[in-house]
Amino acid sequence: MGKAMLEVKNLKTKYITRFHEDVYAVDGVSFTIEEGKSLGIAGESGCGKSTLALSMMGYYFAPLHYISGDIIIDGKNISGMDPDTVRKTILGTEIAYIPQAAMNALNPTQKIIRFIEDVVHAHDPKKDKKEIREMAEKRFAELGLPAEALNKHAVELSGGMKQRTVIAVSTILNPKVLIADEPSSALDVTSQKMVIKMMRELMEKGYIKSMLFITHELPLLYNVTDDIMVMYAGQLVEKGSAEQMVFDPVHPYSHGLMKSILVPEEGTRGQKLTAIPGAPPNLKRPPDGCRFAARCKYAKPECRYSAIPEREFEENRMYRCLMGVDELREVYGNE
Amino acid sequence: MKNTLRQVFHSSKFVAGFIIFVAILLLMIIYPLINPGNPLQQIGVGTFAKPGTYVSLYDATKAPVSTFRLPDAAEKRLGTSLSEEDKAAMVEWFEAVGADISDLDTNDTEKMLEMWDEYYDPSAKPKGMIRAKILYYGRLDKSLKEMGSGDGDSISIAEPNEEGVLEETKKILDTDYVNTKEVANVKTLPLGTDNFGRDVLKELVSATGTSIRIGLIAGIVATLIGLTLGLLAGYVGGFLDDIIMFVTNIFTVIPGFVLLILISYSIGQEQRGAAVVAIVIGFTSWTWTARSVRSQVISLRNRDHVNLSKLSGHSLVRIVLTDILPYIASYVVMAFILQVSSGILSEAQLSLLGLGPKTTEVPTLGLMMNWAMLYSAHTNGSWWAYFPVILTITLISFSLNLMNTGLDQVFNPTLRD
Amino acid sequence: MKGYRKYFGKKLLWFVITFIVAVILNFILPRLMPADPVASITGKLAGGNSDASAVAEIYKRYQKEFGTDLPMIQQFFRFCKNAIHGNFGLSFSQYPRSVSNIIASSIGWTIALQLPAILVGWLLGNILGALAAYIRKGYDKVLLPVALFLGNVPAFGMAVIMLVIFGVYLKIAPISGGYAFDMIPHLSWNFIKSVISHYQLPFWSIVIISIGGQAVGMRSMSIYELNADYVKYSRFLGIKDRKIVGYVFRNAMLPQVTGLAMSIGTMIGGALVAEIIFSYPGLGSTMYSAVTSADYPLISATTLIITIMVLIMTFLLDIIYGFIDPRVKAAQFE
Repeated sequence: MGKAMLEVKNLKTKYITRFHEDVYAVDGVSFTIEEGKSLGIAGESGCGKSTLALSMMGYYFAPLHYISGDIIIDGKNISGMDPDTVRKTILGTEIAYIPQAAMNALNPTQKIIRFIEDVVHAHDPKKDKKEIREMAEKRFAELGLPAEALNKHAVELSGGMKQRTVIAVSTILNPKVLIADEPSSALDVTSQKMVIKMMRELMEKGYIKSMLFITHELPLLYNVTDDIMVMYAGQLVEKGSAEQMVFDPVHPYSHGLMKSILVPEEGTRGQKLTAIPGAPPNLKRPPDGCRFAARCKYAKPECRYSAIPEREFEENRMYRCLMGVDELREVYGNE
Repeated sequence: MKNTLRQVFHSSKFVAGFIIFVAILLLMIIYPLINPGNPLQQIGVGTFAKPGTYVSLYDATKAPVSTFRLPDAAEKRLGTSLSEEDKAAMVEWFEAVGADISDLDTNDTEKMLEMWDEYYDPSAKPKGMIRAKILYYGRLDKSLKEMGSGDGDSISIAEPNEEGVLEETKKILDTDYVNTKEVANVKTLPLGTDNFGRDVLKELVSATGTSIRIGLIAGIVATLIGLTLGLLAGYVGGFLDDIIMFVTNIFTVIPGFVLLILISYSIGQEQRGAAVVAIVIGFTSWTWTARSVRSQVISLRNRDHVNLSKLSGHSLVRIVLTDILPYIASYVVMAFILQVSSGILSEAQLSLLGLGPKTTEVPTLGLMMNWAMLYSAHTNGSWWAYFPVILTITLISFSLNLMNTGLDQVFNPTLRD
Repeated sequence: MKGYRKYFGKKLLWFVITFIVAVILNFILPRLMPADPVASITGKLAGGNSDASAVAEIYKRYQKEFGTDLPMIQQFFRFCKNAIHGNFGLSFSQYPRSVSNIIASSIGWTIALQLPAILVGWLLGNILGALAAYIRKGYDKVLLPVALFLGNVPAFGMAVIMLVIFGVYLKIAPISGGYAFDMIPHLSWNFIKSVISHYQLPFWSIVIISIGGQAVGMRSMSIYELNADYVKYSRFLGIKDRKIVGYVFRNAMLPQVTGLAMSIGTMIGGALVAEIIFSYPGLGSTMYSAVTSADYPLISATTLIITIMVLIMTFLLDIIYGFIDPRVKAAQFE
């Protein structure tokens, strides 16, 4: 086992709505990413995967609030830190973020180089501007961006260039963990592949130590990440290697999600997921028992009231279900 | 639709604006029922009679008399009959005899009289005061004593008898009172009269109605023109779009009020009825609506549901009515509301320039303002002639804008608090 | 730079076309008046003169002076030619002063009053709007309705209220004119003092009117920007909130420049009416007296001058805006 770059232990965060109601968007999530590894998080929209990404940054502003749990980056626990210290010493340097909509992630009226200067100065106010420019030019060149792009405003760049610029800015300080939140959802397939390739290259070159990929496009995850986690209603329901998760999903929800990509080959790749009927539970009042029970084909009466713990099985695998692994596999085999 | 309405009525801003506007409308409808009559009728002869209740003096002398001995009657009488000059003279005397006047309030009649009793001495001859002035104080003292004594005063009413000689017919004592209900003519003017002697409140209610109608007509004209041009330019596109946008751009830059002034002037005073002014206002303010409708339609033009309708061979009118209009309806309603409020304002500004509707038919808020300014109501203290007008215009436009902000927050959720 | 020249050229072309249309409208509209203006003027000037042939003589003379005996198109070119030379003919109401002379003596007052007042109002309104958006709680709840309400007080209403409160009751500042009525304009301390004290009320009433609308617009713009993706992204890169607020306000402020360009016509309209209330010796009062005395060459000239002023302002703001906002630059300059 490699060195743990990011450890999340029993993290709980919530949104407080306009009407002062609590929405438990991340409810007790634990996992680890090792050095040189990548992890994918999949789930329907609204399952809390994007919130999890925000929560892992350890930097909270309304309406998101921290409740409990630990976030340990390269051995340093950041969950108890004061927000300004997190801002200064963690964000961008230890953990960095590539937002969902790269198109609008850059301030339209600022030159890219000024923004990069602001980012670097936020952590090291004394850094020389010439040095920053050299740094930026180098990273731009590595991502196939012309140096002139630095002197442009975001609006003057094309969609693909904006995406690459965002990657360059996010990784300019060589963060240990890079979180990409659906970095490709706004791009066409060719650009998606390019973005993924670039991120892998950055990791291979050692600029970033680990990656976390968040998407609802499962075919994409299989090609990119070492491990996959499936999230449902604020909790993890299953975790395993990409191979295992795709070919041998255990939890009924993952099973439903993965069914359509059993053969990740040309022709079937773009196939739409078969929809699972029903809607996720209201996270203002999460159910006591299994959160998926209401939509689960195999649910028994006890699923609805007994709390379901995460259960380890095999190596590096976890699932959250009352039924046994073999029992589930047998049910799936009979379908 | 129902759901949208419910959402709209959940917006506190919209509801507040709606309530103010409906209250104004109700007042406009109900008040003429209570107080009917021509709002332009000149009931007063002088200009700017103060707000208050007017009792016919003539009728009052004929009404049955009751006797009251009110303890503060004499003092009140003194208070209103003591002129400012007399008061100033009294203060001058106090100063001359060395009384402490640092915290003296000249409006406090009781205190003034008390001090007068204390300090006035007919035999005193303050230094430097001329004899004529001393005599004046003697007379002042006498009249104060008489008025303050409280009884025995009376006014005689005399009428000529058959020989044409005045003969006392009635004596009015200072303890005589009449019940206003028994006086034949009592007129309450909550907002006084204007420079022509008209009842301001009645005029205001009627003017508000006219101004709102002007705003509505202007809004309808502007919205119809803007909507039609915007739909044509946006949906048909091509050469038609180029032409319409050319015209629209020109009229966006040429200030609307300049056009308004020129057109209104060209029409001439005689032809300028309220409806004509409203239509002219509408004709000069459609450009914003046209531009925004166009850009919205362009973004809708290639949506799936529109393409589907096109493929199904639906007519242009049907596509516009069923596939485009419902999507821009909220926007058009908001633009209409703004047009109404700016139409009311435009009428007022035009009238202030002397280019408003002709003055003989109906009052409008702008005309009332114009009259008040022409007769210097603002410099001679007749606040009732202009302030209610300003307040009404502000309230109408405030309520319309509140509704608009409310709608905006419902339809553009990023602005929501 | 090439892109910029093209942008500039395009804007300039628009400016020229709009200008031509404005001149044409300005020429045609008053001539559409159903009554013969020359006849009505003759009637007015002839007064009690009952000698029909004398009246006809006067009518002929005026017809010649105005050139109404010429065909419309010829009249138009004559109008343009004269206008270029600054010749707008003679004023009727202030005979024998020329229209250009009257305008020359009032335009300075209007520019000196309105330009600073509108700019100060715009700036203050934006600052208040930004504050309201940033602070939100409390201030927003109080400031916004107040600003909305103030923004809805019509320009003339605000002028009258200011006049009554500060001029009539508190007697802080004089209520009418551009300087004391017993003075003759000349360069002296007394005169400048008088001008400044007369400047106060019209200036502040225009400022206050401008604040309301701008503040409300700036607030919505700032809230929109505060929710933009780049704000979140910048935060997660560790940039200080204070710096991000700087980005937001810059971005929210820039469209307000367009807002100013769009509303400058309306604002000047309101301000002209405010001038009338204060009898300020500017174009507004000139136009008012022209309207009340049916001085048709003067009306025509004032509206033309105001149109030109608005056009120039809009043009300049457009140019500035294209220059300072890269979003527009990107869209327009290629």
